[in-house]
Amino acid sequence: MTQFLSLLLNGISLGAIYALIALGFVVIFKASEVVSFTHGSLLLLGAYSIARLSEPLGFYLAVVVGVAITAFAAFLIERLIINRLRGAPVISLAIVTIGVDIILLTELIRRIGSDILNVPHPWGGGSVRIGDVGISENRLIATLVAGVLIALFFLAFKFSNWGVAMRASAEDGETAALMGIRLGRVSVLAWVIAGVLAGVAALFLVGSPTPGVSPTAYSVALRAFPAAILGGLDSTGGALVGGLLIGLAESFAAGYQDQLLFLGRGFGDVVPYIVMIAVLLFRPSGLFGTRELTRV
Amino acid sequence: MKLRQGSRGAAALAVVVVAAAAGCSTKAPESSGGGGGGDAADVQTDVGVEGETIRLGVLTDLTGVFAALGKDITNANTLFWEENQVCDTYTVELDVQDTGYVPQQGVQLYSGMKDSILAMQQTIGSPINTALAPEYEADQIVNFPSAWSKTLTEIPGTGVVGATYDVEIANGYDYLFQEGLLAEGDTVGHIYFEGEYGANGLAGTQAVAEEMDLEVIEAQIKATDQDMSAQITQFAAAGVDLIALTVAPGQTASVATVAEAQGLDVPILGSNPVFAPGLLQGPAANWLKSHLYVASPVSSFDAHPELLEQYKEAYPEATVSLGVVVGFGMSELMKQVLDAACENGDLTRQGVVDAFDQLEEVDTGGLVVPIRGFELGQSPSLESFVLQPADVEGGATVAAEAFEGQFAEKIAG
Repeated sequence: MTQFLSLLLNGISLGAIYALIALGFVVIFKASEVVSFTHGSLLLLGAYSIARLSEPLGFYLAVVVGVAITAFAAFLIERLIINRLRGAPVISLAIVTIGVDIILLTELIRRIGSDILNVPHPWGGGSVRIGDVGISENRLIATLVAGVLIALFFLAFKFSNWGVAMRASAEDGETAALMGIRLGRVSVLAWVIAGVLAGVAALFLVGSPTPGVSPTAYSVALRAFPAAILGGLDSTGGALVGGLLIGLAESFAAGYQDQLLFLGRGFGDVVPYIVMIAVLLFRPSGLFGTRELTRV
Repeated sequence: MKLRQGSRGAAALAVVVVAAAAGCSTKAPESSGGGGGGDAADVQTDVGVEGETIRLGVLTDLTGVFAALGKDITNANTLFWEENQVCDTYTVELDVQDTGYVPQQGVQLYSGMKDSILAMQQTIGSPINTALAPEYEADQIVNFPSAWSKTLTEIPGTGVVGATYDVEIANGYDYLFQEGLLAEGDTVGHIYFEGEYGANGLAGTQAVAEEMDLEVIEAQIKATDQDMSAQITQFAAAGVDLIALTVAPGQTASVATVAEAQGLDVPILGSNPVFAPGLLQGPAANWLKSHLYVASPVSSFDAHPELLEQYKEAYPEATVSLGVVVGFGMSELMKQVLDAACENGDLTRQGVVDAFDQLEEVDTGGLVVPIRGFELGQSPSLESFVLQPADVEGGATVAAEAFEGQFAEKIAG
């Protein structure tokens, strides 16, 4: 039972971080119809900036500046590339984001090298015990912060002008533009929000129980992809559920590796993708995605 | 190349190149001054020896994921050859190339350098060594990899610098049994990378488990997995008495923090690549210092303060890791091979391979564990050091000097 609860808690905390990243994918997709592959390197940029700036600026200021740098990078990508290519086929835009991702990632890997950069979280490697179950303070705080951020996001999405504008432009871009909604502004704001979410996710992702900033942090963003897809790429609520599902599936598959041995070793790594494929087979638009209706 | 009359150096080079192209060996031209104890005139040479200069290749990683380690090893190689000569006659020049840890890049760079080098001082990484194995064999290249997988011992001319991972971790187990940190019939949880490195480490655990009736819980991970929570939770539920690791430093840090969080207070035993001094700056530092034991082919800087001083003087900016000791150790091994070849009067590639094959009972002055010789498919050494993390230069101190554990010989074959 202890093992089950530990894995459950671990899965939820991991899922919360995935949800933050997946939400970024979804926001960008809704606002600009671009599937953004730049998230891995944006995540790493955030983690790298926070780690490097912690010494001169102190932890909290470094977090603010690090998240701002990530958001600014997302802003630049949107303004300099995505915005100028408006009207290009969405598949081309997706490929362009892969290119941007590779350029940014290569530079970051070169800078990080084989070092493991430590982010001096004030809560360090401490842990909290709830009965027999232990969870790192970092993950606990991550879950809470992710919860608050996601709640704030949903409120803004529902009630703010930007939220209404974004929902309108996602629903029907042309009509929204005719109604005076500036699609460019909606798009750039979406990218900035996605950047902020990636920066915050990065802050917690490189803390205990993961070792610090190393190039492999990049691969986590790839796991958030199936989370966004299975939730429905245009559904913000779906990103949350998808993130949690993937986090839990991964945690249980790795923790019960021995019981799942008949499926082969290393099964935990493929679980996110198996869950995604299974969901898409039954619901091609994802759990909460909008079904495409085509009149024939 | 243009030959000018009276240009002795160019003529000498031409002779060497022509000879190399013809696939036969020739005598090096008479040395034109300098020179120490050896007599270059009596030594046969072919590729990679020009006058009294030997060229060795280095395929390292200066910009990829193993950049810090690559820099340390390569700097140590360079420093060693600045101060040493082959049979007191030949100076050694290194052709250092950066693969960025990309095998394809490594293969290309090798094809660019292969006609000008005698042997490979260093090739970093199992994948690149494996990719180049057929060429090294065809070109009769003696090579020292900075990896310890058993498969590398099956490449002719390639000299793994110490015990292979299976023998190494078995020696670690022996130390733990001796210290009373592990007992017969205990349960061990082993986290290992998929691929040759992890499989070879796990093979060591399995061999020891068979002898000592240990129960082994295996957890295979990918190099990109950073969070070890699920694996340690599984181990805690199974009540393991030891965590064994054949992973990279990142996972070691995660294992330590999660074990601490879950109160899994058991020793951690690792293969030599699991530790890096950078881990002692992170939150896992204290747990690692009190729980981690690393089986290693090299000693720490305790035993070699002069090396540390020399290195820091030459490279004051660098953070020093034990890669420096590995670098000096592999250069010392290369020196012994080349010295032997030179004494045999044959510094051709074939001559160097012969000298390499004949090498026995090599002592590197305590830098690397004693090497019994390089036989195909066998661990070159049966011994390992056991290190523990500590707040010293290089990040570790010696817990046990080089020793041969009770399981080593059986595993090594």
